[in-house]
Amino acid sequence: MTSPAPASSPKPILVLDRVRKAFAGHTAVDDLSLAVPPGVIYGLLGPNGAGKTTTIRMIMDILQPDAGSVRLFGGAAGGRMHAERIGYLPEERGLYRKMRVLDVLVFLGEMKGMERRRARQRAGEWLERLGLGQWRLRRIDELSKGMQQKVQFISTILHEPALVILDEAFAGLDPVNAQVMKDTVLELRARGATILFSTHIMEQAEKLCEHVCIIARGRKLVDGPLGDIKRTRGGHHLVVGFDGSVGAAARVFADTSIVKKVDDYGQYAEVELAPGADPQRVLRDLVGSGARLARFELREPSLLKIFIDLVGPEAVQAGVRPDA
Amino acid sequence: MRKIWAIVRREFVERVRTRWFWIGALLGPVLFGAVFFLSGQLGRGGGLKRIAIVDGTTTQLGARIAEQLGRSGDWAIRVPAAVGVVDSLTAQVRAKQLDGFLIVTDAALDSGKVEYRGSNVFAGKGALQRPVGEALTVVRLQRAGVDPRLVARASIPLRLETCKISRGTTCGESAAQSFSLAYFMGIILYTAILLYGINVMSSVLEEKTTRIVEVLVSSLRPFQLLLGKVLGVGAVSIFQFLIWGVAGRLLLARRAPLTGGDVGGADELFQVPHVTGATFAVFMAYFLGGFFLYSAMFAAVGAMSSTEQEARQAQQPVAWMLVLSFISMFAMLNDPGSTLAVTLSLIPFSSPVAMPVRWAAGTLPASELALSLAILLAAIGGVTWVAARIYRVGILMTGKRPNLKELVRWVRAA
Repeated sequence: MTSPAPASSPKPILVLDRVRKAFAGHTAVDDLSLAVPPGVIYGLLGPNGAGKTTTIRMIMDILQPDAGSVRLFGGAAGGRMHAERIGYLPEERGLYRKMRVLDVLVFLGEMKGMERRRARQRAGEWLERLGLGQWRLRRIDELSKGMQQKVQFISTILHEPALVILDEAFAGLDPVNAQVMKDTVLELRARGATILFSTHIMEQAEKLCEHVCIIARGRKLVDGPLGDIKRTRGGHHLVVGFDGSVGAAARVFADTSIVKKVDDYGQYAEVELAPGADPQRVLRDLVGSGARLARFELREPSLLKIFIDLVGPEAVQAGVRPDA
Repeated sequence: MRKIWAIVRREFVERVRTRWFWIGALLGPVLFGAVFFLSGQLGRGGGLKRIAIVDGTTTQLGARIAEQLGRSGDWAIRVPAAVGVVDSLTAQVRAKQLDGFLIVTDAALDSGKVEYRGSNVFAGKGALQRPVGEALTVVRLQRAGVDPRLVARASIPLRLETCKISRGTTCGESAAQSFSLAYFMGIILYTAILLYGINVMSSVLEEKTTRIVEVLVSSLRPFQLLLGKVLGVGAVSIFQFLIWGVAGRLLLARRAPLTGGDVGGADELFQVPHVTGATFAVFMAYFLGGFFLYSAMFAAVGAMSSTEQEARQAQQPVAWMLVLSFISMFAMLNDPGSTLAVTLSLIPFSSPVAMPVRWAAGTLPASELALSLAILLAAIGGVTWVAARIYRVGILMTGKRPNLKELVRWVRAA
């Protein structure tokens, strides 16, 4: 962490304040506020059509919000003023097909305010590093799709941005490139960069993100550090293991004031608590019932579970494809 | 500023690097040369090589016509009128042994009526009108008892020398030079504006379809991007002109040896024009003006389309405006002062072709030139304003092409 701000109250690197954007007929982003602290990997999560790309485009000054404001690096201006410090990988990708690899990278580096010579040097280093060294003078359309993805990824981080914004970063990447991308993201993060990435794939977000913001239909459902969210959203699920079988514990599970639902698997049971019920009381009751316990565990819900609970099954069906 | 410069350089370098640029650069002068040469050939009125004269005259008329035709280089034989001769000559024309034949009788001296039958009567008319007419006049005068020496002196053909009164000089260039200058400026302006306008369109479309535009627009304003693009493509066209200019000069200077020494009528109709500084300035001003105006429109077309096919369709109305002004060039060459010509040289969509053509073909008041340029400038401002707005919204849109109502909304919303 190179962030100068104290870890306890880091000044956010990106703030969205009640941002709204409507297109003909529908509201894509509605009253969205969020703050991205520096030096974290921040996940912007939501089903397809939730408004993730629109939000990112507003951050990047590609679209202007109808209301609200975007503030970057503590200033009032949006992305274009800070192009030098932001790396942006759009969801749909492409490069100038007829240009040479190195020329494309130098050009896009220049767009980010780099000097030609420096862009050329850095591009050479990155190409070498990702195994594309001997392709530098080839035309883009001579490269395989996976190689093009690498080139585009290099173009995003060539100017060593302090903030990297990746829209559906892993979509369409082959497994090898996904790994390269993940490693590089983690490396950037270790060097102090902030990474904002949007995805609808929760397993990925769960592995990488420290902070998340879940949106659906343009509205924010929850945001904050992932651990906090899990803690506040969790605590409703118990796994109770028995030395033998349910036995006396059945009486406790029958109490609908504390238990909402039980899945009995014989050796153990999964218990969903009634709203407001205290897990500690369940434990006390179980001990008092004389049941012989082998295990008592408060289970943290997966991000996917939280997501589905929040967004609702219909949105999940419409948009979320965990297999994608 | 540095970013705009990077856009300009990319457009320039990438275009100049392509094979097509150099093919265009080399082929351009060759094509223009071909147009030059072909126009000359057409202007010559075709080639009558072998004709026969069916001479039914008792006067010297038939011999005289044969002599006149021989003087102008055509080959004519004289056969006496007899039964069946017309049929046998007709058969020879069909067999392509003859181009055609003239039937001349004494009656021609009074009625002036001479009949020509041939495979290409259009060419025949052009080639025969003058020599036959002159022969008739000479024989008529001789028969009227006029002194043959006087007849010879009276029949010295006219050589009209034309001279354009233009700014500064009294005799800057001949009619032929004016004509060819206007003709070529028209062709080059039309071709270049269309070609490079469409270049801007495909460039916009490429960035849109590959979505690179998102990265670009997050680094510089859409208008800056558009500006850099137009300047870059414009620089390519000026570079192309430079190559054409040098190559064209060389080609024209060596024209005679290239066409075997005989350029025929081309000499009369097309001559190497004398390009003054003022003419060059007018040409460049209208080229740049036209290019900016049309490339703004082509850019908007590219931005509102999602595929090549869509763009090809959508660019037609824009291209047609240019084609129309090109077509009317020929009318303007005939009469540069006509109401049509004046109107077209004031309308900004046609003035980039029309005004330089009029400038080269005739004299026009400076006030008209100034007015035309002012209107063009105003139009560039207005059109660019609208086009930039369409561009700004369009480059991020995918899906179906917008209709007119949606376009209006884009312009308003941006």
